[in-house]
Amino acid sequence: MDRMKILLVDDEHEFVTTLAERLELRNMNVSIAMDGEAALGLVENDPPQIVVLDVMMPGLSGLEVLEKIKAIDSKIQVILLTGHGATKDGIRGMQLGAFDYLIKPIDIDELIEKLNEAMKSMA
Amino acid sequence: MNHLKRKEVAFFGKITAGITHEMKNVLAIIQESSGLMEDILDITENGTFPHKDKFIKSLDRIRGQIQRGIDITSRLNRFAHSPDHCPASLDLNEITQQMVLLASRFARLKNVVLESSPSDPPLVIKSDPVSLEMALFESIEILLNIIGSGGKIKLVPRKIQNKCVLGIGYENTVIPEEDFMTKISSTERWASLQEIMAYLGGTAKVFGLAPEILLYLPESIDN
Repeated sequence: MDRMKILLVDDEHEFVTTLAERLELRNMNVSIAMDGEAALGLVENDPPQIVVLDVMMPGLSGLEVLEKIKAIDSKIQVILLTGHGATKDGIRGMQLGAFDYLIKPIDIDELIEKLNEAMKSMA
Repeated sequence: MNHLKRKEVAFFGKITAGITHEMKNVLAIIQESSGLMEDILDITENGTFPHKDKFIKSLDRIRGQIQRGIDITSRLNRFAHSPDHCPASLDLNEITQQMVLLASRFARLKNVVLESSPSDPPLVIKSDPVSLEMALFESIEILLNIIGSGGKIKLVPRKIQNKCVLGIGYENTVIPEEDFMTKISSTERWASLQEIMAYLGGTAKVFGLAPEILLYLPESIDN
């Protein structure tokens, strides 16, 4: 079976690199980006199947990046990461085409469940 | 609340909310780092990692404390967002539950348990969230100052004669109403509570025997 191809986007370097390591241990193919511009570059040049995208980032916001990803390739699934008390961003994101949203700090099992659901929805 | 005071409260709220987001990021990094350590231990063959059990136990403790940190910062974040909208539609069940979480430490220092008992159906009023939280907190502090150690303070939203009321009562003791009133009137906080309640368009009353402060609230602060 092909490895799931994930792009993690978050401006917290320690968070995104550690989470990437955990997903790689689960046999996923993970790349990372620390801002929206870098994420869009990767989406153009090496498209992932699923993007896990933080909403609150300096520069382009997560919701802006989401809109641009969907404009590049609407089939790419996006799971948003929001802060507590920012569920309205998650709901807005789903209106813009996000697959779902999770509240940070996330539970790894919950994230994996969402990734699997997102993969199934693409089949 | 005058315009400048409102701006001050909004300022404190905004800064605090921003800091809670930062704290959550720190917790998220600790959570993922300890999670990664667990993952590595999981794939390590038995017997090849000395003291593996001790590491697992230690990681469990870290996980418990991360969850505690998340709960605390979530409460603080919700509280910091209180001034965002004023007046706001407020579910009295939610606001009492929130206050139980926020004030539990103050009660615990007096060996008092803080609880809320939700009303069914929920009571929703239009009010000033920050001032209402202050009124609840003042009421809890008044009871904590006049009762001894131990026992339970219960926050009970309900309707009395068709009016929305928040009851803050102390269980496990009986005090005649006059004695309760005398004790309460001697506290500076009672005057402060009366002032807040006047701003909210309501009143604070007391009920003895099972000592209780009753906050009568209008359905809308505009009225």
